[in-house]
Amino acid sequence: MLLVIVSGLAVGALYAATALVYNVMFSTSKVLSVTTGHLCMLGGVFGAWLVSDLGVPSVLGLAGAALVGAAFGFLTEIVAIRRVLSRPVEHLWLLTTLAMATMVQQAVGLWWGTEPRPFPRLIPQDFSAGVMDQKYWLPIVTVIVMVLGLEFFYRRTMYGKVFVAMSEDVFAAQARGIATSRVRSLSYVIAGALGAVAGFAAGQLTFAFFAVGHGLTLYGFIALAAGGLGSNVGALVGGLALGLFSTFATYFFGGEYQQTIAVGLLIVVLLLKPEGIFGQRQVRAV
Amino acid sequence: MTNTRSPAGSAGLLAGGVALATLPLWVGDFYQLHLAQLIGVYWILIVGLNLVVGFTGQLSIGHVGLLAIGAYTFAFLAGTHELNPLFAIAIAGVIGGLCGLLLGLPSLRLPGFYFAMTTMAFSLIVTELTLAQDEITGGGIGLAVPGVSAPFDTPDGLYWLILIVGGLVTWLTWNVSRCMWGRSLIAIRDSEITAMAVGISLFRAKLIVFVFSGVTAGVAGALFASLQSYITPDTFVFELGLFFFVCIIIGGRGSILGPFIGTIILTALPELVAPLAKLGNFFYGLTLLAVVLLIPEGLQRLFEVLAEKLRPRRIESHVVTPDLTRLAAAIREGQSS
Repeated sequence: MLLVIVSGLAVGALYAATALVYNVMFSTSKVLSVTTGHLCMLGGVFGAWLVSDLGVPSVLGLAGAALVGAAFGFLTEIVAIRRVLSRPVEHLWLLTTLAMATMVQQAVGLWWGTEPRPFPRLIPQDFSAGVMDQKYWLPIVTVIVMVLGLEFFYRRTMYGKVFVAMSEDVFAAQARGIATSRVRSLSYVIAGALGAVAGFAAGQLTFAFFAVGHGLTLYGFIALAAGGLGSNVGALVGGLALGLFSTFATYFFGGEYQQTIAVGLLIVVLLLKPEGIFGQRQVRAV
Repeated sequence: MTNTRSPAGSAGLLAGGVALATLPLWVGDFYQLHLAQLIGVYWILIVGLNLVVGFTGQLSIGHVGLLAIGAYTFAFLAGTHELNPLFAIAIAGVIGGLCGLLLGLPSLRLPGFYFAMTTMAFSLIVTELTLAQDEITGGGIGLAVPGVSAPFDTPDGLYWLILIVGGLVTWLTWNVSRCMWGRSLIAIRDSEITAMAVGISLFRAKLIVFVFSGVTAGVAGALFASLQSYITPDTFVFELGLFFFVCIIIGGRGSILGPFIGTIILTALPELVAPLAKLGNFFYGLTLLAVVLLIPEGLQRLFEVLAEKLRPRRIESHVVTPDLTRLAAAIREGQSS
C-alpha cells in the first residue's frame, strides 16, 4: 500500500512538473503549448543517450538534457509562437505547436528508435530499496525544488516580476519599457530547460521513450486544468492528486481504465468548477 | 466559396464527377484503386469533420476515436453477429452519432484548447477501451472484418459504394454551407460573441454539427474496416486523427474543394513518393507548420490567388466629365431660393 502511495506521488510529481512548465509558457504568452510533454520526452531521451551511450557523468548529462530542452523551447518560440501571436486569428498557436510536437516526436523516433529503452541509474543504489528507490524520490524532490525556485524567481527577482507583469497585461508591460518578445523567448527557454530536467529526473519511471510526449501533454494539462490555470500551487496539488488518483484507480480496477478515469476526473472538475481549484475566475469578455 | 457558378465551373464539376464515377474502368492497377478507395473513405470522415473544424472553428483532433467506434461496430455486427453489412453500416453511423453526442455534450461547452485536449483524450480512451474489452474487440489481436454484401462485394463495387456515400455527404454539406445554417457556423467561427448577439444558439449549432460529423465518422469507420479487412487498436492511432485535421487545415477553412484536394494530396503523396512514407508523421507536421505560417487560409486561397494572377480581373475605369452648365444652374437656383 505504501508503495502505491509513493509511486502515485512520483508519477504525480512528473505531472505537476509538466503543469508548471505549461504555466511558465502561459504566463508570458497566454499560449498552452502542445510541445510541453515533448520537452520532458527530450529530457528523458537525451539524458539516456548522454549518460548510457556516451558515458557522461550524471550531472553533465542533466546539464546536456536541460540544454537540449532549452534549445527546443527557444526554437518553438521563434518558429511557432512569435509570428503567430501577431496575427488576429485565434488559436493558430494550437496548430503550430501541434506541428512542432509531431515533428520533434517523429524526429526523435527516427533517430532513437521506437522501442522504449531503459534509463540509467543516476546514483549508485541496488534495486532492493523498495519505496526508498531513487526512481520515486528523484521526481518528487525535483518538482519541490522547481516550485520553490519558481516562487522565489517570481517574487524576489526583477526578471520574475517582469514575467508577472506580462502575465497581468502585455500592453501595459510594453508601455513600461519591457522588451516583451525577449522576455517571452526567455520564458520558453526556461520552460524548455525545466521540462527537460523533469523528464530527466523521472526518466527511470517513463523510460527513454519517444512517444511519452502526447500522454504527458494531456496529463499535465489535466493537472493544470484541475488545479487552476496560472497557479503554481494549483499545478502542484493538481498533479500530485492526479498521480495518486490514477495509481489508486489502477490498484483497485486494474490498469486498463487508467486514462478513462483520469479524463473523467477532468470532465467532472471542469463541469463543477471550470476555473480549477486554485484558479482565478475569468471575467467574461463582452 | 462562390454562389454563382460559371459555365466553366459546371463543366469542370461534371467532368470531375464522370472521371470519379468511371475510375475503376480506367485506373491502372489494383493498388491505385485501393488508394482511391482509401481517399474516399477518409473523405467521408473529413467532409463531416470539415463542418466542425473548417466552418464552425472547433478544433477537434480526436475524430479517429469515432472512426474506431464505427469500425468496431461494423466488425462486431457484420462479423461476429453476421448481420446484413449494409444494415451494419447504417448502425455504425447511428452509434458514431450517439458517441459524438456523448462527447459533444460536455466538451463543446469548453473553450478552444480545452476542447482540443478533450477530443485528443477521447481518442486515447477509445484505444484504451478497445484493448480492455477484448471479448468484443479481440483486444490487441484484432478482428477480421467481412466485406460488404452483394452488389458491392468486388473491389469495383466497394469503390462505387464509397463514391455514392461520399457524394451524398458532400452534397449534404455543400447544401449546409450555402444556406443560413452554414452562414451561422461561419459566424460562430469568426466571432462567438457576435454570433450570440445576432441570435445564433451557439451550443445547439455546434452540437448538431458535431453529431453529424460523428455519423459520417461512424459510416467512414465501417467502410474503412471492410476495406482494411482486419482491424487492431494499432490501426487507429492518435496520429491518424491528426492527419484528418491537417487535411482540412491545409485545404483551407470554410471551403469544401480545398480539404478534398488536401485529402488527396496528403493520402497519395506518401504512398507514391517512397522517402516521404519513411518520414510519415514528420511530413504531416512539417506541412501543417508550413501551411499555417505561409498560407494560413489554405490551398483554396492559394488557387484563388494564382487564378487572379493568370486571369487578372479587368479594372474598368469610368471617366467622369462634369456638366458645368447644369452645375452652375443648380448653384444659382440654390442661391436664389
